[in-house]
Amino acid sequence: MIDYELMWSSLPALLQGACITIQITIFASCIGYVLGIFFGLLEESKNFLVKSFLRIYVSTIRGTPMLIQILFIFFVLPQIGVKINATFSAIVAIGLNSSAYVSQIIRSGILAIGPGQVEAAKTLGLTKVQTMLHIVLPQAIKNSFFALGNELVTLIKDSSLASIIGVMELTKEGSVIRSRTYDAFSVLLMVALIYLVLTSSVTFFFELYAKRMKAQCSK
Amino acid sequence: MLEVKNLSKKIGNKTALKNVSFIAPIGEISLFLGHSGGGKSTLLRTICSLEEYQEGSILYNEKKLETALNKNLVGMVFQHFNLFEHLSVERNITLCLEKCLKKNKAEAKDIAYTFLDQYGLLDKAKNSIAKLSGGEKQRLAIARTLSLDPSIICFDEPTSALDPILSIQVREMLEDLCKRGKTLLVATHDMNLALKLQANIHFMCRGALVESCTTSEFEKNKEQFPSISSFLSL
Repeated sequence: MIDYELMWSSLPALLQGACITIQITIFASCIGYVLGIFFGLLEESKNFLVKSFLRIYVSTIRGTPMLIQILFIFFVLPQIGVKINATFSAIVAIGLNSSAYVSQIIRSGILAIGPGQVEAAKTLGLTKVQTMLHIVLPQAIKNSFFALGNELVTLIKDSSLASIIGVMELTKEGSVIRSRTYDAFSVLLMVALIYLVLTSSVTFFFELYAKRMKAQCSK
Repeated sequence: MLEVKNLSKKIGNKTALKNVSFIAPIGEISLFLGHSGGGKSTLLRTICSLEEYQEGSILYNEKKLETALNKNLVGMVFQHFNLFEHLSVERNITLCLEKCLKKNKAEAKDIAYTFLDQYGLLDKAKNSIAKLSGGEKQRLAIARTLSLDPSIICFDEPTSALDPILSIQVREMLEDLCKRGKTLLVATHDMNLALKLQANIHFMCRGALVESCTTSEFEKNKEQFPSISSFLSL
C-alpha cells in the first residue's frame, strides 16, 4: 500500500518544494503582518474615507476565494501592463489576503485593551502616534499573539494554492511526482507529513515564545 | 490658580456637569465629595481634557487651560491607576519622560529612579506591573504623574482600592504634594480622607456644586453645610 521507497526517493524534490513554500510563507507573512498591523491601527481612525476604504478592502478580500485573488494578480495584472512572475504573484496575493485577516486580529486585540490605557497616555502627554506605537500596538499584539500564530499556520497551508499558477512549491512538486508515478497515496502522504512538520514547528515556536512572555510578565 | 467658570457638560440628553464654578488656589487641595454619579470624576476628566464640555471655561493663571495641556500642566492619577501593564515599573516612568519631555535615556532613568526611591519602589524597578500590590500600584501611578512635574494633579478616588493603612499613606502623600506647591483636585467618597485633609471642600450632586467651604469653615459651623454634614454622617 505505502511505497516507502517512493516516499524516500521523492523527498529531495519535495523538500525543494518545501523551500519555495517557506519562501512564499515568509514573504507573504511580511506583507500580511506589516499591512495588517497598519490597517488594524488605521481602523481606529475617525476619518470616514479611511474607514470606508478599509471596510471595503477587508470585505472584498474576505469575501472572495484566495484562489481567485491569486489568479487575478497572475492573469489580470499583466493585461494592464504589470508583469510579475508566478511566485511573486502568489506572494502578493497571499500577503494581501493575509493582511485583511491580520487587520481584524489586531483590531480585536485593540478592542480588548481597556480605554484607561489610552486615557492615561493622553494625560501623560503622549501624542496619538506615540500612544499607538508604544501603548496600544504592543498590547494588541500580545492580546492576539496566538491568533497571529494561527494566521502564520494558515499561510503555510494557503501557499499550496500557488500550485495553480505553476509555482513549484510543495503541493506542485507532489502533483508532478504523483502524475509521474501514479501513486497518489504515498506521495500525498509525504506531502502532508512535510506540511505537518512545518505547521507544527511554527506552533511550537509560538508556544515557546508565549511561555517566555508569560515568564517575563511574572517577574 | 485654576479657575473653573460656569462649566456645563451634557452626555447625550443627560446633564453631567451643571454650571460648575470654583477656584483651586496653588498649593492647596480641592476636595470634591458626593455620591456615585454626582459628577466628581466627570469634572476631573473634563479638566484633564479627557472629556469635552459645551459651556464655560477652565482657566489656569487666567489663560485657557487647553493651550497649556501639552506642556504637561495637568496630571491625573486614575482610580484604577491605568498603569501600562506591558511595561516594567521603571519603563512606565521613563517612557513618558523620553517621549513627552524629550529626556535622553540616562536622564529619564535618573529621574525615574529618584521617584521610585522616593515612593519606596526602588527594589521593584525591573518588576512587571502584575507583581505589584494595590498600594504599590497607587504609588507608581503617583510617581509616574509627578515625574512629569505637572502643576495641577487630579486624583480620582485615590483611596478606593486601598486598605486603611495605605489610605493614610496616600493622605500623607497628598499633604506632602501640597507643601511642594502642587494644586491638587481630589474626587472621593472616602469620609476618613475627607475629614482629615485640610482642604477646600466642594459637595457635588447631579453634576452641580451644591456646597463649598474650607475644612476650618466646616468645622466651625457644620449646620451651615447640611449636604456635606449628611454625607460625612456627622
